[in-house]
Amino acid sequence: MVKEIERAGIPVVHMCTVTPISLTVGANRIVPTIAIPHPLGNPALSMEEEKAIRRKLVERALEALTTEVEDQTIFEV
Amino acid sequence: MKLELGFIQINDIQFSKECKVENGTLYVDPDVVKAFMYEDDDVKAWVKDFSFDVAKPGESVRITPVKDVIEPRVKVEGPGGIFPGVISKVDTVGSGKTHVLRGMAVVTAGKIVGFQEGIIDMTGPGADYTPFSKLNNFVVVAEPVEGYQDHKHEYEKAVRLAGLRAAVCIGELGRNVTPDETQTFETPGIKEGIEKYPNLPRVAYVHMLQSQGLLHDTYVYGVDAKRSLTTILNPTETMDGAIISGNCVSACDKNTTYHHENNPVVKYLFEAHGKKLNYVCNIITNENVYLADKQRSSDWTAKLCRLLDLDGALVSQEGFGNPDTDLIMNCKKIEQQGVKTVIITDEYAGQDGKSQSLADADPLADAVVTGGNANQVIILPKLDKVIGTLDYVDVIAGGHAGSLRPDGTIEAEIQVITGATNEMGFNRLSAR
Repeated sequence: MVKEIERAGIPVVHMCTVTPISLTVGANRIVPTIAIPHPLGNPALSMEEEKAIRRKLVERALEALTTEVEDQTIFEV
Repeated sequence: MKLELGFIQINDIQFSKECKVENGTLYVDPDVVKAFMYEDDDVKAWVKDFSFDVAKPGESVRITPVKDVIEPRVKVEGPGGIFPGVISKVDTVGSGKTHVLRGMAVVTAGKIVGFQEGIIDMTGPGADYTPFSKLNNFVVVAEPVEGYQDHKHEYEKAVRLAGLRAAVCIGELGRNVTPDETQTFETPGIKEGIEKYPNLPRVAYVHMLQSQGLLHDTYVYGVDAKRSLTTILNPTETMDGAIISGNCVSACDKNTTYHHENNPVVKYLFEAHGKKLNYVCNIITNENVYLADKQRSSDWTAKLCRLLDLDGALVSQEGFGNPDTDLIMNCKKIEQQGVKTVIITDEYAGQDGKSQSLADADPLADAVVTGGNANQVIILPKLDKVIGTLDYVDVIAGGHAGSLRPDGTIEAEIQVITGATNEMGFNRLSAR
């Protein structure tokens, strides 16, 4: 899906946990997330802590989306 | 460490008031097994009742949903007991003598949780895809207490323990029986091995254990594998039940407890030991859902391979999808330490076999053994008898809405069949 959307000319950030697979399949902008069963949250945290993590991940993704890249890039959080 | 296995061939199972093994027949009283299972508090709390059945090779019988398959064994000499840290005390196993009831298994079945486990057909085309159709199966069908839906993990644990307890109870009947055949397995210490086989390549088995959680789990001496670091086992420890299955999802390529007890990679390495290679040890490592865990565990695997000065490693995966990354990370990092690898996996290449087989790949993974394509579609005929229930055939991993057809036949991917594409290479599917 990442590749097809990019082929249509729209930049994509792939937010995912297993970044090696993302690299293998050819995503260009990658933001690492929490865990496979819960990529954008963490049930072990309080609601407030979880909200903070979500905001941080989304803000990092938006930053990645507006950053020029020359090659496949992982934007560490 | 040295272990002698004494194999007692079981050709038939009969329900009887007297429990014994005589002339290749297991006579067993289900009430005795039931009472032994109910001695456990988890079983008492979560299992309302058990029913029992026997399924023999060639019978028109379908067992589903299957949770685990377990071979009954009993420790007759040496420290510890079968399933250490779970049923027996936690003492280290793998030495002395163990009796094996060969040709039979305990199969746990029944309503488990949301996604259900697999299918074992005792006859027809489905039987060719599961090794358990060739065994005399003592089937334990568990029924949960009311309200278990909010406690699925507790219920899974209760059924897991119940199956192991049934196997221990039956295994005990082989204690004083003279085995039909004995085999001895021994691996030396590191230094002794190098001195004894100076010219043979040093090879270890990297055994990846399913530990994704959410009912994809494995336990080692009672420790949840997802909470463990990569470590080393003597190969014979696996033969005494050091590793057990806690899986409930995607039956084709999850290792049942039976697979762990009879691991074909261990068997092959022992056959070649002292002749073609020097079998050093097993390295067990997990498949967790956090990237940091994947990195740490594969780093440790490669580190141990280097520390042991290996020449080669056989790496077996369990499951598919994100564990493909654990597999490739292990392979790549071990190769980068100068140790040659062969990986054993299976494929999800689509029903037409034309899609990418693994979710991850690397040029260093240049020696691959496959257990087959789990997406391959099969039609299973209606069989005369069902042990368990057909209620879950449509939602089992590999099934789809309409899998169970009005005429009683089943159309599904071979993913639904217990052990069909096993990644220890236990089954017979393969490809070149």
